[in-house]
Amino acid sequence: MIENPQDRLPGRREVVRVRNLAKSFGENTVLSDVNLTVLEGTVTAMIGPSGAGKSTVLRCMNLLERPDSGTIEIDGHVIDAERRFSNRELFALRRSAGMVFQHFNLFPHMTVLRNVSLPQQRVLGRSKGEADERAMALLTRMGLADKGEQYPNRCSGGQQQRIAIARALALDPKVMLFDEPTSALDPEVGLEVLEVMKELAASGMTMIVVTHEMSFARSVSEDLIVMADGGIIEQGDPKRIMAEPSHPRTQEFLRAVLQR
Amino acid sequence: MTFFTDAAAFLPVLLNGLQVSAILTLLSLLFGLPLAGVLAFGIMSKNRVARLIAIAIVEVGRGAPALVLLQLMYFGLPDVGITLSALASATVALTWTTAAYCAEYLRGGLSAVPAGEIEGSQALGMTTADTLRYIIIPQGWRIALPSLMGFAVILFQATSLAYTVTVQEMMSQAYSLGASTFKYLTVFVLAGLLYAVISIPATWLSVLLEKRMARHL
Repeated sequence: MIENPQDRLPGRREVVRVRNLAKSFGENTVLSDVNLTVLEGTVTAMIGPSGAGKSTVLRCMNLLERPDSGTIEIDGHVIDAERRFSNRELFALRRSAGMVFQHFNLFPHMTVLRNVSLPQQRVLGRSKGEADERAMALLTRMGLADKGEQYPNRCSGGQQQRIAIARALALDPKVMLFDEPTSALDPEVGLEVLEVMKELAASGMTMIVVTHEMSFARSVSEDLIVMADGGIIEQGDPKRIMAEPSHPRTQEFLRAVLQR
Repeated sequence: MTFFTDAAAFLPVLLNGLQVSAILTLLSLLFGLPLAGVLAFGIMSKNRVARLIAIAIVEVGRGAPALVLLQLMYFGLPDVGITLSALASATVALTWTTAAYCAEYLRGGLSAVPAGEIEGSQALGMTTADTLRYIIIPQGWRIALPSLMGFAVILFQATSLAYTVTVQEMMSQAYSLGASTFKYLTVFVLAGLLYAVISIPATWLSVLLEKRMARHL
């Protein structure tokens, strides 16, 4: 069953609209006709078996992956994959979405502070002083006030992921995209990242989270998307779907992850 | 101890030659390294014509022995109306060799920067030029640096080939000293030592630098 989140959470602006998204790598169809809407200030969790296309949807949303067809709209910036678009349009779309990767993807040759402040200077044109100040404020919020002069590889995985979150937040995105942010971390260390994400959700950030953390999906997200075989098979209230999934494939997946 | 008295007499002449060897090395690096950078980007270019030209220059530069290029520049070019001085033709030939080898080292370094970091930069909305300038080049050239320094040592030794095109570098000085005194053993031992005195510490330096630069990685 696929519910429109507007029906459950009325009166909120649609910040993200993905329409008729399709992507294949050679013969292999990864996504076909994916449609989704994300409302402002909500957390949307995406779950599903490996290879379902969850990460690809996320990567198509900021054009790290070029879809074969479909449109992506984030905060009013629209890109139609089948039409030519300018770099200006591409960068405008990317600026409105912050992305957090499974493997952090920090810049190892820069200090933690520089990782967070350089993109602000280059992308938003902030001065160094302004960028450093904002970076320190965010690092402090992430509990990393003393790490500014360290290099990323001297930090733990959980710290590196929080640095990556700070780096993305520093550009004031409208939406944060999380691509399995805790999958490369020990469960205990993953917890500190999930805490930061909960705090971020509580502050009203719009978030799309691809995850295998079922309790996060159940307790934090307002909307749940289940993907399988390159398409969305179920969408709606997380607690309802977790309790009584309607699609047989969802039932099978949830049995596998919840009863281990 | 005739070795030491002979060596003391030869040393000033050889040191003059060494100076020319050093100048030839530095000139080849000065022109060759920037050209190597351009060629490295040429090889990786999406533009077919640029890529083919760059590959052709690099493959000839690596495929042909430096000695052949030296002879070509000095004895060959006058046939088509281009006459260069001995030092100039040696500089052109060794610049070509330098550019070709170093282009491959640089290309290897640049493409060793993890794809994830490049995606990280793109996802932040950084332009391609900024990604190159702040992420790919600063890390790529560090990865290439040990190979580049190793090449510089080999290049310094390869300048000895320039004696075949009458450049007055150390090898040619040693040769004429040997021819006039017949003390070939002394003079070539001394020349070999002088090459080693520069090359060995340069190798140590490259290892040291490699360790220093890998500190954060």
